[in-house]
Amino acid sequence: MSATQALVWLMALSAFAWLLRRGGLVPARRALRDTGTSLLKLLPMIAVALPLATLFAELVPPGVAEGALGRESGTAGILIATTAGMLLPGGPFVTFPLVLAFLAAGAGTAQMVALISAWSVLGLHRVLVWEMPIMGHRFVLLRLASGAALPVLAGLLAEALLSGFPVLGR
Amino acid sequence: MAVMRRALARHATFVVMLCLSLAAAVAVLALKGEAALWRALGGALDLAVFILPVLGAGLLLAASVRQLLPDGALSRWLGAESGLRGLVLASLVGIVTPGGPIAAFPLVLVLLRAGADRGAVIAFVLSWALNGFQRILIWEIPLLGLEFSLLRFLACLPLAVIGGLIARRMPASWQPEVK
Repeated sequence: MSATQALVWLMALSAFAWLLRRGGLVPARRALRDTGTSLLKLLPMIAVALPLATLFAELVPPGVAEGALGRESGTAGILIATTAGMLLPGGPFVTFPLVLAFLAAGAGTAQMVALISAWSVLGLHRVLVWEMPIMGHRFVLLRLASGAALPVLAGLLAEALLSGFPVLGR
Repeated sequence: MAVMRRALARHATFVVMLCLSLAAAVAVLALKGEAALWRALGGALDLAVFILPVLGAGLLLAASVRQLLPDGALSRWLGAESGLRGLVLASLVGIVTPGGPIAAFPLVLVLLRAGADRGAVIAFVLSWALNGFQRILIWEIPLLGLEFSLLRFLACLPLAVIGGLIARRMPASWQPEVK
């Protein structure tokens, strides 16, 4: 079990223990029943979502356009990075090593900020695997519409910060 | 026929994802060959082994918090009348929320039931996705360094509030439903 998993379990068990102490058996049993119901509802979703994620990873070529993301690529580079971040499949164990490789290959810092932001906010992968099944399409639409412009804004803000505090760019 | 259509509507997400999965499987088989298909399916199995232990914990956490928070408890702080302060508060809650999407999305349902408005829940989800402390500590600082992480954190800090403001101005029919 990873540290992350241990932390989530610790929090879940603390919350449950607190519920038992404060509310007694009835709400505790209700919480357990809720957990079981959600689990049963989610399992078939996960059974189709995980293969979708890994199949998608096979189809997207690794190492997308390093030149177009360089330090001098400016706003165009930020837009390309946003698109790449949206399409990037996989969790942080894919994204962060990839950004490290991009930075080493000469990608710009602001462009990489846009890429990570786009992956976080607009990432197709997370939307398909987690958000659609748990939240439903109306929430997904609202969130995507509210967040659509943010990754580009993050890249531009990073560029402004870099010109003010060059020490952050190394 | 009507029964089938109703069942299809209720399970629309599942059906769409199933079709996408099958299409992706065919595409991988055609473009990359059988070995790639098996590699992808093996990867999915690995992911399942990684995710399933934490899935139960995330759902138990959300269900317990829901029992602890009476309906409407947070409406004063995160409701439609909470203004900019509510959005800032929701962003802070997003940053300190640990765990992956499996913990964060069920918490959104809890917040909605407790009286948060859509601006606040959008600010929460965006803030968690952009600046959740756990991902920064476990992945970003070790791999990309403190300077890069700090720059990205600062650049993303105001964005969740901006997203929440945009969400409040969306057409009313986009109100997320509480199931």
